[in-house]
Amino acid sequence: MVPVEYYLLLSSAVFCIGLYGVLTRRNALYFLMSVELMLNAANINLIAFSLMWGNLTGQTFALFTIALAAAEVAVGIGIILVLYRNFGDIDVMDAATMRW
Amino acid sequence: MSDSEESAVAINPGAAAVALFGVLAGIILSSAAGFPTPAGFPADAAIVTNIGYALFDIGEGTVPVEGFLATFLIIGIALDVALDSAVYLAKREDDGTIISALTGGGNEVVDGEVAGTADTEAEAGLDHGGDD
Repeated sequence: MVPVEYYLLLSSAVFCIGLYGVLTRRNALYFLMSVELMLNAANINLIAFSLMWGNLTGQTFALFTIALAAAEVAVGIGIILVLYRNFGDIDVMDAATMRW
Repeated sequence: MSDSEESAVAINPGAAAVALFGVLAGIILSSAAGFPTPAGFPADAAIVTNIGYALFDIGEGTVPVEGFLATFLIIGIALDVALDSAVYLAKREDDGTIISALTGGGNEVVDGEVAGTADTEAEAGLDHGGDD
């Protein structure tokens, strides 16, 4: 059986790739994909610890996280749609009217 | 915040991500000895069945798990709210009138009818429907 630390390393790598995407991408769709990567890194952790303890709570909770990610994407794409209508582009740096 | 201050606090995102991974990997590997050997699940255990029991808090599963019926219902409400939000954000209004919401193929609503059908095209004198 694969030791848990390998899953945690994979999860950390996926999370950091997502973080890099959030910090560098200006296209809102890529931004959303990067956030999804970070959420899936959390899912890997949940499932790894579920395997470690022989308890299904982690896997069940990962299902809930997937559902919440779907809800987040639905709202996120709606926001991107409004962004495109108002600014003619989906560059997240264009929407600066609420910036302090 | 001025441009000079922004550039002063700006860091390389790639370096930040790699540094974070380094810190996380260091912590994980240094504490790896403390992790027990994965217990896993019994070979004859029906994992999906047990997850189903957990979702509805039935309590007849063979693998240890908590009940999640309340969470299941709350997530259902959250998904419903997200669906409504997406529809609200996607609709287009002009002078307080919805001009496009949930129409097929991006067709616009003309006088309460979906543009692009033969009837509405004849009434509105349109050559074609759609956003193009």
